[in-house]
Amino acid sequence: MTQTDTDAPFLETRALHKRYGGVHALRGVDLTIRRGRFYHLLGENGCGKSTLIKIISGAQSPSEGRVQIEGVEQPATPDPIAALAAGIETVYQDLSLLPNLSVEENIGLTSQLVASGGRLAVRLRRGEMRALAARAAAEVGLPSDPAFLRTHVDRLPIATRQLISIARAVAAEAGLVIMDEPTTALTRREIAHLIGVIRKLQARGTALLFVTHKLDEAKEIGGTGIVMRDGQFVAELDIETADLAEVGELMTNRRIDQARYRAASPAAAEVARLSVDGLSRAGSYRDISFDLAPGEILGITGLLDSGRNPLALGLAGLAPPDAGQVRLDGRTVDLSDPSTGMDRGIAYVPEDRLEEGLFLDKSITDNIAMTVFDRLRGALGIVSMDRARILAREVADDLKIVAEDVDAPVGSLSGGNQQRVLIGRWLATKPRVLILHGPTVGVDVGSKDTIFRIIQRQAEAGMGVIIVSDDIPELIQNCDRIAVMRDGRIVETFDGARVDAGQLYAAIGGILETAETAP
Amino acid sequence: MSDTDLQPAIADRPSLSPGKRIADWILANPAGFPLALLALTCLVVGAINPDFWQLANLFDVLRASVVEGLFALGVLVVLAAGGLDVSFSAIAALVMYTVTLIVSTLVPGLGILPILLAGLAGGALLGALNGVLINLLKAPALIVTIATQYAFRGFLLTFVGTALFMNIPASMTAFGQIALFSQVSADGLRVQFPAYFLIFVLAAIVTWALLNHTLLGRAVYACGGKPEIAARLGFNIARVRVFVFAWAGMLAGLAGILHVTSNRLANPFDLAGTELAVIAAVVLGGARVTGGKGTVGGTIAGVLLITLVDNVLIQVGIPSTWRTAVVGAFILLAGMFYAWVDRTAVGR
Repeated sequence: MTQTDTDAPFLETRALHKRYGGVHALRGVDLTIRRGRFYHLLGENGCGKSTLIKIISGAQSPSEGRVQIEGVEQPATPDPIAALAAGIETVYQDLSLLPNLSVEENIGLTSQLVASGGRLAVRLRRGEMRALAARAAAEVGLPSDPAFLRTHVDRLPIATRQLISIARAVAAEAGLVIMDEPTTALTRREIAHLIGVIRKLQARGTALLFVTHKLDEAKEIGGTGIVMRDGQFVAELDIETADLAEVGELMTNRRIDQARYRAASPAAAEVARLSVDGLSRAGSYRDISFDLAPGEILGITGLLDSGRNPLALGLAGLAPPDAGQVRLDGRTVDLSDPSTGMDRGIAYVPEDRLEEGLFLDKSITDNIAMTVFDRLRGALGIVSMDRARILAREVADDLKIVAEDVDAPVGSLSGGNQQRVLIGRWLATKPRVLILHGPTVGVDVGSKDTIFRIIQRQAEAGMGVIIVSDDIPELIQNCDRIAVMRDGRIVETFDGARVDAGQLYAAIGGILETAETAP
Repeated sequence: MSDTDLQPAIADRPSLSPGKRIADWILANPAGFPLALLALTCLVVGAINPDFWQLANLFDVLRASVVEGLFALGVLVVLAAGGLDVSFSAIAALVMYTVTLIVSTLVPGLGILPILLAGLAGGALLGALNGVLINLLKAPALIVTIATQYAFRGFLLTFVGTALFMNIPASMTAFGQIALFSQVSADGLRVQFPAYFLIFVLAAIVTWALLNHTLLGRAVYACGGKPEIAARLGFNIARVRVFVFAWAGMLAGLAGILHVTSNRLANPFDLAGTELAVIAAVVLGGARVTGGKGTVGGTIAGVLLITLVDNVLIQVGIPSTWRTAVVGAFILLAGMFYAWVDRTAVGR
């Protein structure tokens, strides 16, 4: 691995402070970034990570302190063009791509904007843009033919979009690429490819700063881990040799149990809580059969195209299967309509809480009560908001949702708390089976802990739980059994207490290749 | 290279079913849908009434599409940037009446060029006001332009005048009379094709070049796609917004002046109520009210379609009162069709 390491740092921040009204989000941050290195910014939601990134990328200005890039002081007012011109590319979780523009425009447009200093009344140099985009696309392993380059980004899969955003950084010859949770939406195979591309960037002398919750991934990538808490750096360590439990403790300031959460075992029952028999949906999954006992936690995993997602939607009644039967406590469930499943007691917590689940501008009460308005109806069918609030308060206490009160809009909560509201909504329906789809995607270590405890408590109370996820440690920590899907079938089922991550990855068929990619 | 074998998996393109093929083609050729409807309408009307196939009809439709076409080009740019404008007809009325009144009272001998420039400038100024207000008030474009529509019209009728007048400047009358092509048809009618149609062609070319060959044009679509991301990438959203509304206002001002020259009279009550038909034409042409899409070619096809329906249905014995119902049916069809296109093309 080449390290283009000069003595002068690429970027330095000194005594950076940021205040939003009364909130002191950054309290004196000194960050030094050198070319050709990897950095991982670790910390819980609300620790100041995103504020720091916004300042570095010129989206916001610090209240105090300064940012220097290659020795040049950055402007005091927010100036994205200046940051881009200085070689800083920021890839947020939304990938900062314009969905209605073509691949080549997404890759090459910013370079022209930077060249013109932000002035818009200039000719678009299409030929130049196309050549630049083709070169950058090839470099990250994307096709570089004109047909691909002219495709609109909103028609491409997420992994391709991820690479397009990196191609833009390549095109801009960025000195520092900041990536916010880059692997959240990717499968293992795609992550392996992404890491290969990232290593190429590194070899060119680009520094990479990752913001991540996935400590095991940070460890695979290697580099410097920077732990933030309460707007300050609390530790800098070599992530490859660091003890993850220790890092988790530094982030949260409390002991995080890396051990299994699952202590109880499923209740013995004559009739399975959920019995799935020969479930199939053309093009998605085939012949899926399993029994779920009361109080059992079943994990389902596989690559993104293994059929796990359609299966989750199928069980939830959102994408009805073509064939097969599902029985809940011995009674056949009609899966062609989500509300019948819900009435019978199958609850589904979707993966994408923002797009599919929560109403961000509505209160916690509204979000929790919406599935149970039937039960909150008083005389004349009018929903009692007082009763809804009482219910919301009970759920909020139960799930340790941190908020001023239950009338606060869900959008004002942190990711972990939002996820708890979503789970709370479904628990309020008192389901007999709970299907969780990626329950801790984008959730920090502390919140994960709380969510796992909630899941375990529900199972102990006799609920059947299915976790559909590609977060292997999460499955091992929580499940009695883990079913692995490949090409639409369940290919192997493991005992959660005995399996190790390596076995699971092997069964999934997407072993993470850490072998160096030749530059 | 170890990573090349991953390429196909990562860069998979959607496989092509016939429906997807059509959807893909329409996304790449947005004018296709209105052109198909246009051809269909012509064939049906022509089959019922063979008299339809004559030059006079073509000229009628083209002439009638100039004012609406200029409006539509402006609406296209605003829609592409994620905005909405319903004030353009009021801008056109205010500009055409005020400019004509001032010129005919003060400098009746003024040439056509300064009059056209005055129309462009006045329209651009009023349009820019829309953009500035939207930026300042952080209010939705629809609400702001509804408000300015009332304000512009109210100002016109209260402070400028309410009386129709016909003694418009001589240069305007003359300009409206210049014919590119003139012929006496078989039934003895004089058929004329006005030169001011070229102004519409020029406006379309300039708008096309602007949208497709300047950074500003890309910024317009960027703002219409995801404004917060566009801002993050360094596009100045506020400036783009002022520009698109100024552009729409400018084309509206121009349309107003042409409206006076072709009608040879200035009526402050003209043009009101054309807003929805214009927006419909642009949407028929493939733009989305949700922003970020639309092309000049599609827009022109949409305008031609609406003008055609407006002008020829009477020839096949459909009462003119039914005209609006047919237009409505086309719009409904377009809405369904484009929703299907978006669903089919993006879904995988």
